[in-house]
Amino acid sequence: MLWSQNASPLRSQNLCFVVCISLLSGVLSSLPELSDKSCTFKVTLRNFRVILSWEVKNHSIVPDHYTLQYTVISRPDGVKTVEHCSNITASFCDLTDVWEVLPETYAVTVDGFRGNTTLVTCFVDFFLAAYISLEPPEFDIVNFIDHINVNVNFPPVLPKILEELLQFHLSLIIEEQSGEIVKKHNPVLDENVIGNFTYVIDKLLPNTNYCVSIYFMPRNLEAIRRSPVKCTLLQPARDTGSSESARIGGIITMFLIAAVFISTIIILKRVGYICLRNDFPKVLNFNNLSAWVFPEMPPLEAVAFVEVIHINRKKKVWNYNYNDESDSNDEATAPLTSTGGYTKHGLLSGLPGPTSASSATGQDCLEPDTEEPNLSELEAESLMAPEPSPRLGKLLQDRFSEDGSSTEEAGDKIIFNVNLSSVFVSTLDDDSDIPPVLPSFPEETYDLEDSHTLEPSFLASGGEGTQPPFPTPSAECPCPEDVLSDKNDNSESDVDIGDGYIMR
Amino acid sequence: MSTKPNVIRKCLWPACLVGLLITGILSLDCNLLHFYLRKVTWQNLRLLSSTSSSFPAECLSETKAFELPQEILSHTQPVKRYIKEAFYEMSIQAFNIFSQYTLKSTWESDDLKQIQIGLDQQLQYLEQCLEEEEKEKEDLKEMTEDGMNWSGALVPQLSSLELRRYFNRIDNFLKEKRHSHCAWEIIRAEIRRCFYYFQKFAALLKKK
Repeated sequence: MLWSQNASPLRSQNLCFVVCISLLSGVLSSLPELSDKSCTFKVTLRNFRVILSWEVKNHSIVPDHYTLQYTVISRPDGVKTVEHCSNITASFCDLTDVWEVLPETYAVTVDGFRGNTTLVTCFVDFFLAAYISLEPPEFDIVNFIDHINVNVNFPPVLPKILEELLQFHLSLIIEEQSGEIVKKHNPVLDENVIGNFTYVIDKLLPNTNYCVSIYFMPRNLEAIRRSPVKCTLLQPARDTGSSESARIGGIITMFLIAAVFISTIIILKRVGYICLRNDFPKVLNFNNLSAWVFPEMPPLEAVAFVEVIHINRKKKVWNYNYNDESDSNDEATAPLTSTGGYTKHGLLSGLPGPTSASSATGQDCLEPDTEEPNLSELEAESLMAPEPSPRLGKLLQDRFSEDGSSTEEAGDKIIFNVNLSSVFVSTLDDDSDIPPVLPSFPEETYDLEDSHTLEPSFLASGGEGTQPPFPTPSAECPCPEDVLSDKNDNSESDVDIGDGYIMR
Repeated sequence: MSTKPNVIRKCLWPACLVGLLITGILSLDCNLLHFYLRKVTWQNLRLLSSTSSSFPAECLSETKAFELPQEILSHTQPVKRYIKEAFYEMSIQAFNIFSQYTLKSTWESDDLKQIQIGLDQQLQYLEQCLEEEEKEKEDLKEMTEDGMNWSGALVPQLSSLELRRYFNRIDNFLKEKRHSHCAWEIIRAEIRRCFYYFQKFAALLKKK
């Protein structure tokens, strides 16, 4: 192999030179590893070109020109010299058209000369598929109202090595950044992509600043080399032609407002703040106007009105005049005079019922005196009562039928049951000229006009079933003699209305 | 008798790990085989690149062309089963070659161990998926009695033979050079190249 024949003497000379240099510089270097420690190599894909660059580590060594040679390890075809990379002053070489096969190990030798003296020899092997560094391609951006066109400049003819790179190893990434929001776009590249490649970034906001950057992303998770960022400010949307995004935003805003309004109404209605319920109970239902205007009257109760009449009573001095045969002992036969007042009348007959007819005064269980005024007053009031009780009515009828001789009906009893709870009381004028129409009673009379002993008395009467205000007659009856004597002597004491009750 | 429970306790934890490993391998989805193969193969490729600093210049005179099979080099798309069988053959042969590595070379031992572990896992994954395909193929043969399937099976056998021959040449080269440092460096470069082409094959599995 030519490479192996020429390599040994050249390497020995270089070795001596390097050793001398290193002794001068105070740096020791080992023989086998001389070449790869002298330079730093780098293979990059720059603008779709495979560029091999190198740098001498020892900066004191500055060659004038370089010569590059290479060989493929899997193909023992010898060392190959790159003509356009021989005696070059630049420290890089374009090997795009030289290295066509990607998965090969290329052994490269770079000799640095000063004049005809080899200053440094650098040797390195590259497995291109694993070591190639991908620089981003050149691109331009064109901004519109709501989108940006990104033009990536591909070469008119894509090298073979790039075809395989783009097909199997690389993905073109276009980054769009606005503020802190970064979006990545991965355009699909054809296998034979050539010329300018245009990618459109749409759905952008007008009058907004966007920055675009592109790079090749290795599919094997190798290092990424990002392109410089290019920024642009999109044009504002025109009035005549409103952007679709603004219109959509307006529609969405309207829907949101309507939704908020409707939900507020629903909530207020459910809470009861508005549209209060009007389903009242039946009792409070006033829609039935007739029932409201003309309510049903409660059933009427049997009411008997009682009028309370003031009775001016005075203690009458009994003028015992025994000449008069009209003995007061005979209570039943005592005539009654009425001077405009009330007459106290004994209980006479006239009441329906066997008891009243058969009973004598001595057997009277009730104080006749006490009952007489009741009777009289009841009779008087019954004249004004709208619905007197039947019994009372009967009594009055009998009384009117009598000609002051009710006392002749001895033994009749009148029992009144007066319900005090249903008493309607009213007062009459004392100066009333018209005396109340009362039946004449043979008993005492009271002058209503006498106000000295005016003591109002309150009576209670009622319809049927009333109860007396005073004790009911008991089974025990006073002695008839006592009764008679009481009647004769205690006429003025028969009626005691000190506390409003007629008592004996 | 008392030592048995202790032995059981000591072996229980490793047994559980092995069981989990076997279960994990057995539960591997063959639909993701292409992804796994591509990833492991590229990883082995990078390990081979880093295990040695650089190719010695003095070894350039001993380089040899080992003639990787054309089916691997070409961009044609073979059938899926052939790709899996080729992967299987390549993994076995490469594993056997790296097992012959001696300590005379300056390779990083850790990198070499990782390469061997990756190849071993790859083999287990491929065995599982190939067995599944074999069962499906037998069922299909009983149903269709199609001669095409039988003829298709011959193709992968030939390609596997070519691969086997390729690796035999490599093995013979090592033995001829007596496993010298230059021989290992030349073999390292060649197998790295082989790994690259198989990594492209894995992408074809996905497209299929």
